[in-house]
Amino acid sequence: MTKKRNFKPIKTTVFYIFLTGIISVILVPVFFVVSLSFLSTREAYRFPLPLLPALEMKFSLTFGERGYLLSVYDRVDEEYQTVLDTKELDKMAVYMKSQLNTPVTIPELEEQIARLESEDPVYFSLKTNLLANYATFFKVAGTGEAIPALIRSLQVALMTIIISVSIGGMAGYAFARYAFPGRNMLKFSVLFVRMFPGVAIALPMVIILARIGFYDNPIGLALVYSVGSIALTVWITASIFMGIPVSLEEAALVFGANKFQAFIKMTLPLALPGLAAAAMYSFLGAWNETVAALILTQFNPTFAVIVYQTVLGAVGQVNLAAAGGMAMALPAIIFTFFIRRYIRQMWGGMTV
Amino acid sequence: MATLTLTDVTKRFGRTVVAVNNFSLEVEDGEFLVLLGPSGCGKTTTMRMIAGLEEVTEGTIYIGDRNVTDLAPRNRNVSMVFQNYAIWPHMSVFDNIAYALKLKKMSKQDIEKSVNEAARLTKIGELLERYPSQLSGGQQQRVAVARAIAVKPQIFLLDEPLSNLDAKLRVSTRTELKAIHAQTGATSVFVTHDQSEAMSMADRIVVMKDGEIIQIGSPDDVYHESNSLFVADFIGTPPTNFFDVDVKNVNGAYHLINPHFDIALDEKNSAFIKNHGKKALIVGIRPENIAIVDKQKATLSAEVHVSEPQGSHQVVAMRMDDNIYKIVSPSNPRIVAGDIIHLLFPQSALRFYDPESGLRV
Repeated sequence: MTKKRNFKPIKTTVFYIFLTGIISVILVPVFFVVSLSFLSTREAYRFPLPLLPALEMKFSLTFGERGYLLSVYDRVDEEYQTVLDTKELDKMAVYMKSQLNTPVTIPELEEQIARLESEDPVYFSLKTNLLANYATFFKVAGTGEAIPALIRSLQVALMTIIISVSIGGMAGYAFARYAFPGRNMLKFSVLFVRMFPGVAIALPMVIILARIGFYDNPIGLALVYSVGSIALTVWITASIFMGIPVSLEEAALVFGANKFQAFIKMTLPLALPGLAAAAMYSFLGAWNETVAALILTQFNPTFAVIVYQTVLGAVGQVNLAAAGGMAMALPAIIFTFFIRRYIRQMWGGMTV
Repeated sequence: MATLTLTDVTKRFGRTVVAVNNFSLEVEDGEFLVLLGPSGCGKTTTMRMIAGLEEVTEGTIYIGDRNVTDLAPRNRNVSMVFQNYAIWPHMSVFDNIAYALKLKKMSKQDIEKSVNEAARLTKIGELLERYPSQLSGGQQQRVAVARAIAVKPQIFLLDEPLSNLDAKLRVSTRTELKAIHAQTGATSVFVTHDQSEAMSMADRIVVMKDGEIIQIGSPDDVYHESNSLFVADFIGTPPTNFFDVDVKNVNGAYHLINPHFDIALDEKNSAFIKNHGKKALIVGIRPENIAIVDKQKATLSAEVHVSEPQGSHQVVAMRMDDNIYKIVSPSNPRIVAGDIIHLLFPQSALRFYDPESGLRV
């Protein structure tokens, strides 16, 4: 008698090994960027890097050669390390704010120095400002252009959604519902535009946009992004419309609706999940795009360009770059979560 | 309620494909008409032209005395039950039925009254709040019917509405549809490829093939007086048995001669055949008209190939020259494979067809 072997435990083990691998490849870098974006500059350059930002910094203060000697407790080496020897209190406050993310006022420092009369050294602790990097980023990056750039990026992304979902949706509907000569050829040809890297055709694009007056303008960028984005929205919406039986619209026609009503009342609600997915792809594409934006803007950069410049110029400011990256990722994440419930309807909620 | 008149209606797809060719038909007020034919015969296209979902290439369509040939579907005052029901999945059953009424700008009370009336007729009163995905196939079909009758159309179109139901439900729904038709009295056009469905429901059957009308008649007409080989073969399960025969005049009497039998025709049939003067014919005879008799009276004898008991009757198949012939006989006595049976073809049941044209002579 042959014995049936049970492969299930092996399968499960292999599955979890893969799962762990995938999670560590994706989640570990994300975790480090998130953590880094909250770290103070001094901590960000320690090795090994602290896993989590300190909520509180411990200081010690004593007399030094040139004035007061400020030491800060180092979590890695587990000891107080001298960071500053000065008698200028405003310099000390600036250092504590910019390097250690612990905002402090001069009177507060004077109060601690007064304690030196009775005890030496003086120990005290201050709360860290976790959002300090974000505040600094928006104040400093792109010489104060970060907030306007963020607004521009949102404009570009929303315009890209509107242009590419409306045009791509209409084309998708045509591809799904009408037979016409050259249909397949056309459907494939919308993908051709994605074969050219943006950089390769950047120069003609600059010239064209400059001629029509949209160079260094969010509308120009939205147009450029829409070209690539339409290719995706056409394919997504075409497959969605194909999945919705024509007879639903025909029934509406027979029962008193005109063609427009039949589309709006019957097909559109059922296509909403697909349109949401198409919108999400368009948004992410436009929001994250950097190279074309770098070339096609000059004085009005998008947020991605600002972050890119911060990362490039981030010698000694890696935590600021991380904060910028997070600030850029957050709207994309929020948008994805918002639109997720529509996409989920594709599998749950309704069946066509 | 209204009559429906199609005159020389032709539908071409592109330049070459003719889906419906010169279709002329008058449907009377309150009639239940069935378009019957194999798939691809143009019956659904014809119905879609009546509904306005396909453009008419040539010809005219009148509902009552209105020319609707070029009207949009919504202006025709027809309603339709689709093959896949086409009930709107994002609307509740109530909204599905009420949609057409809302577009007609009926008052809220009137809509509710009409919906409840339609739901009562189709027995879906307790399902009105549900969504289509929560319904079984049979229930969805009822919703589609309720939606169609709620608008009180002049013409009621049904496009193979039973083909997605399981066999048992199909038969019971047939009866219900017929009852609903009797209550509403709406002029109805029903498309199907199932001949037994057509037989059981129709006032008149239109048999179609390759876009053309082959025969129009009551179920009895098309069954007993089929006008062509196609109809005789398409209608009835099991279908008509066909035999190639030579016509010979032996001493003034006409004989139909086949390797297996020699039938001497009676006076009536002889006179009939004489008038037509054909040398070769195809004889058709319905399975239930062939009688099992004693050897002396038999037209021919054959060995039973397969026997299929059906409870109330049995279908007995014989094999001759690689052709299968079937007869229907009472359950008793049971006939089994290998038996030799003796068969009689009654003269009155014989139908004669021209082998060249396939038409009845």
